[in-house]
Amino acid sequence: MADYALMNQLLFEGKHKIVQQMTEEALAEGLDVAAVLEDGLIAGMRVVGEDFKRNRIFVPEVLLAARAMKAGMAILRPLLTERGDADTSETIVMGTVKGDLHDIGKNLVGMMAEGAGFTIVDLGTDTSAEEFIAAVREHDAAILGMSALLTTTMIYMPKVVEAVKASGLDVKIAVGGAPVTPEFANEIGADGYGADAASAVNVFKELVAAREASRTSP
Amino acid sequence: MRARMEILETSLIERIVDEALSILETTGVLVEHDDAFDRLVVAGFTGTKDNRRITFPRPIMEEALASAPSSLTLHDRDGNPHATLSGDRVHFVPGSSALRILDRKTGEIREPSSPDFVDYVKIANGMKHLSYLSTAFIPKDVPQDIADAWRLYMVLSYSKQPIVSGAFTAFGVPRMGQLMAYFRDDRQDLIDRPMSIFTCCPNTPLRWGEDPISNIIDCAEWGIPMEIVPVLLLGMISPSTTVGALVLHTAEVLSGLAIAQRIRPGTPVLFGGAPASFHMKLMTNPMTAVEALQLYCGYAQIADHLKIPSQAYMALSDSKFNDSQAGLETGMGAILASLAGINSVSGPGMLDYVNCFSLEKLAFDDEVVAHARRFIEPVEVKEDLPTQALIDELVREKHLMMSEHTLEHWPEELYIPGPMVDRTNWEQWEEHGSKTFKERAAEVIDECLEDYDVEPLDAALHKEIRTLFASTCSDKEVALPEFE
Ligand code: B12
Repeated sequence: MADYALMNQLLFEGKHKIVQQMTEEALAEGLDVAAVLEDGLIAGMRVVGEDFKRNRIFVPEVLLAARAMKAGMAILRPLLTERGDADTSETIVMGTVKGDLHDIGKNLVGMMAEGAGFTIVDLGTDTSAEEFIAAVREHDAAILGMSALLTTTMIYMPKVVEAVKASGLDVKIAVGGAPVTPEFANEIGADGYGADAASAVNVFKELVAAREASRTSP
Repeated sequence: MRARMEILETSLIERIVDEALSILETTGVLVEHDDAFDRLVVAGFTGTKDNRRITFPRPIMEEALASAPSSLTLHDRDGNPHATLSGDRVHFVPGSSALRILDRKTGEIREPSSPDFVDYVKIANGMKHLSYLSTAFIPKDVPQDIADAWRLYMVLSYSKQPIVSGAFTAFGVPRMGQLMAYFRDDRQDLIDRPMSIFTCCPNTPLRWGEDPISNIIDCAEWGIPMEIVPVLLLGMISPSTTVGALVLHTAEVLSGLAIAQRIRPGTPVLFGGAPASFHMKLMTNPMTAVEALQLYCGYAQIADHLKIPSQAYMALSDSKFNDSQAGLETGMGAILASLAGINSVSGPGMLDYVNCFSLEKLAFDDEVVAHARRFIEPVEVKEDLPTQALIDELVREKHLMMSEHTLEHWPEELYIPGPMVDRTNWEQWEEHGSKTFKERAAEVIDECLEDYDVEPLDAALHKEIRTLFASTCSDKEVALPEFE
């Protein structure tokens, strides 16, 4: 029998190789994919989130756990997709906009989102609208996350939003970065704004839910 | 003797520099732009095109360190010498490039416009203890692709003082160079009598992005002095420990210095920095964190050892408002920067992780700077050793208020701050109207505006400069703001 408590503990400690191995073993034992995901991985991440909130652990420990989560997800994802229950393993295309090389914040957001089970396609810095759109299409992404740290480059964000709307893609757009405000996000027609990596993950979850809802409602 | 703080043993400095040079020799830097990479290969660097990495053999570094000037004299708009950066001279300058301002009238944090910027220039121009100006924040009422040059133009229009500035795009420097050249006989004259320092930031770890590398090359070609400003975040994109961080910081600065020296030997380069800590919970980047301050003081000593003038983002605050935290952080930074002998300290006026500029804070910080400057005045014998005669006089007269010695020395010795730093007692304070920090700041600012008297630029020159903007701005529809 898979020892979920041990798996949770090892995930908490960031032991990514063992977590991956235990994930494989659990499947080999014939356990249900959804159960391994929920009881083996997500339950561990829940403790991580709780302890982070309470200042028992800090960003480095969260990232280590996120890496372990990602290692386990690498095994589960193909099976989840096969079964068609994608939910939190949705893909997010992330990039810093054209002309801007600030990527520290964007990378952190990506790492934290991976820890929450999302798949991140990172386009790096200096990303054009065309590159964003091509990546969203290629990876069938649910969310497009844009970052900008300069007043000279944040004005590129509305151009991406317009191009995405014109492309007809069914993707939610989230924006962030020091000069970006919720008002600006609203003004340019983005769907979400995140002030830091933790709130970004919540925004992503809300956007996925909103997208699901709009898809199922007639 | 002038008070000077040292936190590194000379032998440790030598090991740090040696390690930084080894890293430049083996790892080198990544140049994230094909054209710039080619320009550097043409300039004599060794690099491999497929990974765009440039390495720095020791002889090149030795040559670069030998040709980099140990002193820089900034000149004013009219071409007169204004401030010399060398040795342990310390200058303070407002922080640069904030995204927002804290509106002194409404208390609101908002986007700045050109009229705000003109106000800033007039007020900063009147600060008594700041040595020169900076392009403190970015007006949002002009097309952003010209905002870098536009704020430089506004400083040049309203002040004669030299300027710390920088470009926001890969093509920003030449336009700004052209703008400054209007105030000199020709380009060579601008090199001989520089009026500004441009900030160029490597992308930690050991990368040069398209804009900064283009800026370095252009600055060197134009002979514009530059400050190389790495932004290490301790524990995030840097070792969390001081020595390791100093090695990385030094390697990044020296890579920029070597590139500049290769393009134009003798180009003034400041050993700069804006390192910060990385908050392991909040993911913010406090530049005033106590461990970051250690890094600032450490690299100042390395710069001194290498005989390169230094620059730092200190004497500022990460607080959101002008509160106790702002006072603590600004004061601590100003004193430490002075003790460390940093030649150009960028910071006054700045709040919120260099994101927000406050004129009230600028007024306060001007006095903070005066404190720091006073503290590093050398302690010397001033007709007070032997002391017997003074003691006799004191015992005899019961005070020294009217002593010749006091009359001679007190004006220099006893610094009287105010009105920002308040020295009234409670009754005096009430008598003087119980003025708050904000009210006192308003008075200082209004006085600066009233006293403001700088010769305006010639109308023909304004016209010429505006033609330059009109011809190089991407958005031809937008009318550029007018000012008197
Ligand atoms: C580090 C830094 C750099 C580094 C960047 C390193 C890197 N790889 O990213 C270096 C030194 C290279 C750099 C270069 C420059 N910089 Co810079 N930089 C900064 C600094 C100090 C911190 C940014 C940072 O990393 N913060 C830490 C991270 C964790 O926070 P964050 O980025 O805000 O991200 C968080 C949130 O915003 C949010 N978030 C971010 N992205 C996203 C995306 C989504 C979808 C969501 C939901 C959320 C989200 O979550 C993140 C995590 O919590 C800022 C000032 C500041 N405090 O913001 C200046 C700052 C942004 N830079 C500035 C400038 C001027 C420059 C240069 C032009 C300087 C020059 N002349 O060379 C160049 C720009 C070159 C270019 N074309 O991009 C100015 C901008 C001014 C303006 N008005 O636009 C600032 C404000 C500093 C200043 N006052 O001068 N910079």
